[in-house]
Amino acid sequence: MVPGYLISTIVYGTLFALMAMGLTFTYMTTKVPNFAYGDFVTIGLYTAYQLHYLNHINPYGAGVAAFFIAGGASVLMYIGVLRPLARRGTSLVALMIATFGVDIGFIGIIGIYTDYMAATYRLVDAKQFFAIPGDFSLFGVQGVVYVGPAVLAAITIALYLLFKRTKFGVAMRASVENAPLARVLGVNTERIYITSWMLAGGFAGIAGALYTLWLPGGTSTGSDLIVEIFAASVLGGLTSIFGAVVGGLAVGASEDLVTTGLGLGFGLVWTVVIALLIIVVGALLLRRAAKKGRRGAKIGVGDMLSGKVLRTGAGAGAIFFMLVGVYFLFEIATGYSSDLFVQGFVSGFGPDVTPFQKAIPLLIMVATLLIIPKGLFSLRLPRLRRNKE
Amino acid sequence: MSLPIVYLFPGFDLVSFMVGFVNFYALYLAISISLNLEFGYAGIPNFGKVLFIAGGAAFSGSISGRLASYVLNIGSHQDFIVFSTRIVNQIDGVLAHDPVFAVELFIISVMIGALIGALFGYLASYPAIRLREDYLGMLLLGMAQFFQVVMRTFTPLTGGSQNIAVPDPYFYWISLGTGWRDLVAGLVMSALAILVFIYAERVAKSPLGRMLKAVRESEDAARALGKDDAVVRRNVLIVASAISGIIGAVFTMYIASVEYDTWNRVAWTFWPFLIVIIGGVGNNYGVALGAAFFSFVLKGLEQIQPVLQPYVFFDANWLQYLLFAVLLITILMLRPEGIIKEKSAPTLPKKTLGALVAGQGDPPPSGGAKVQQARTEGRASRIRRLFELGRRTSPIADG
Repeated sequence: MVPGYLISTIVYGTLFALMAMGLTFTYMTTKVPNFAYGDFVTIGLYTAYQLHYLNHINPYGAGVAAFFIAGGASVLMYIGVLRPLARRGTSLVALMIATFGVDIGFIGIIGIYTDYMAATYRLVDAKQFFAIPGDFSLFGVQGVVYVGPAVLAAITIALYLLFKRTKFGVAMRASVENAPLARVLGVNTERIYITSWMLAGGFAGIAGALYTLWLPGGTSTGSDLIVEIFAASVLGGLTSIFGAVVGGLAVGASEDLVTTGLGLGFGLVWTVVIALLIIVVGALLLRRAAKKGRRGAKIGVGDMLSGKVLRTGAGAGAIFFMLVGVYFLFEIATGYSSDLFVQGFVSGFGPDVTPFQKAIPLLIMVATLLIIPKGLFSLRLPRLRRNKE
Repeated sequence: MSLPIVYLFPGFDLVSFMVGFVNFYALYLAISISLNLEFGYAGIPNFGKVLFIAGGAAFSGSISGRLASYVLNIGSHQDFIVFSTRIVNQIDGVLAHDPVFAVELFIISVMIGALIGALFGYLASYPAIRLREDYLGMLLLGMAQFFQVVMRTFTPLTGGSQNIAVPDPYFYWISLGTGWRDLVAGLVMSALAILVFIYAERVAKSPLGRMLKAVRESEDAARALGKDDAVVRRNVLIVASAISGIIGAVFTMYIASVEYDTWNRVAWTFWPFLIVIIGGVGNNYGVALGAAFFSFVLKGLEQIQPVLQPYVFFDANWLQYLLFAVLLITILMLRPEGIIKEKSAPTLPKKTLGALVAGQGDPPPSGGAKVQQARTEGRASRIRRLFELGRRTSPIADG
């Protein structure tokens, strides 16, 4: 029997990957962080809700409808708000505030919609509803556990083929990289942007519809999730669709795996692994801090430990990181009886940590933005040989 | 004795509307002026405004009750979080008869709020001087959300999902009748807002204000003139966040409790941004006007809501969200500079400058000292030369 937290990790990870993919799409095309993106998830949620309770269509069928409805809303937002503003030369910050504005407007729309549902159809749970029943079950596990990853894999492969094999995909990549140049070559960049926004909203819609099968939803689900979706996108690098998939899986998984781990305890072996990982990450950060001053030069241990590096915030932070890891190893070697924190890591903090679940993606996001603002998929791997120029 | 009731039309009480409006206006004036200092003058898009206000509110609200219970020895052996309502009730009873202690508690709470705000501002300045606007916006949004999760789940701070009560320094005024407490609290908040406004206006008119605008417009240019943009941004964030912390502390004493869901993104980050955009970015008078407009519309809608309700099938409160969203996007499209446009920063008093341009000799000496006079004379001749130079090289004048 597969443990429950692993299953919920799979579902959560795939849903976040879908949402992060869409958000990354909008960021790539318009270069504006879309704070209203969570609302498209809410649209997906309520499409599934309405179709289930009024038309008796299950959320899988509703996913298809949600793709078009949320995609349409997304295109509407692009054509109605962002494009006219961008054409007037509005600044980046003002565009971000405009997406905030759309988010606020949506609070009003969804409020009126749910009031209407509650008043007309006597659906008392319209504001806050439980997970929609009626999912099929296979090998004792709910169907969405299979369908979610399958949908994600299908979309990822389709996008990969689109980008690599079709002319439209190449034009898409070109207009993301350099829009004026693509326009010179006869690419209709507007059509491509509209398609991207359609897909972006659509992914959110599908994710929202699938979400209803697994978790309770409500009017504020989308705007509650938005920061976590950003966390996933930022971790993936905000410029790579496949980075977003990885980031979404990681952030979605972190919520359940890390909380379960902290609650039940990681065990001795995993705690040692985590401590070693912390030390390695600290060493990499220290190397980066040392490298900042002297680009391209070879970095030795002496450079890394020079006072100049350690006095910077990044250097001191990296050393602190490494010391924490070393402390963990030391505590484990001496029987970890004196420190409650290390003890908690090995044998569990108990159920007290579960409420902090929602804080973990936010911590990941803050750490990503502070340490590697460009995300995982923009880190250059060290070259083996120096370029001869 | 309660406040008088004046009905303009059925359901609309003018006095209670005015008191509510003044409270709300003072609150939002102070917040949006401090946001304008960060966003309008220094160019830091603080999308985590709620973090600093909620930080000040949570810590001052959490500490002041414990402090009072310790000093007055009321229920100090009990768990404050569990019994906060009962303990604070007794503390309020004491505060009603001890105005000196009430004022002391008020001042201490405000100081805690300011300290926590400044500390959070210092922490936020680390990314604020390193990241681009969009990444910074996401980061601050994430930090604010993180603090909200902490408030909701970390029970020792503010009781988590069960809220804690906060001692009420305005308690004396409750005994005078309904409305008096609101009126006094409104006066206190108005005083705070006026102080913040005067401070921001003085900053704006000073060389510091011009430097902030220079850093906002072009870091490189400011740096080339020897200004340290990182230090400037850090200091602005610290000061503005300390103001936010004070506002949080004052407001939480007014509502006399700390609840995590009071401190949401919409009310404390989005509305202030809306006010700054409506009124005019980088312009304190515009922001004051924007805050007045916003408070008037919001409070007015609140009053009209019962009248409107029978005619619509939904909760009429939703209309305010739609209205403000449409308003914001319309303003951004049609008048991005806001109601009052940002003026170029003044360098000399207008009167002096006008006299100088007209060539009517030197400005009236302000200090009377000889050095001062010599300096102004030098400045006058320099400025006059500058204008003459401008006239001579202007192509229109030549032909």
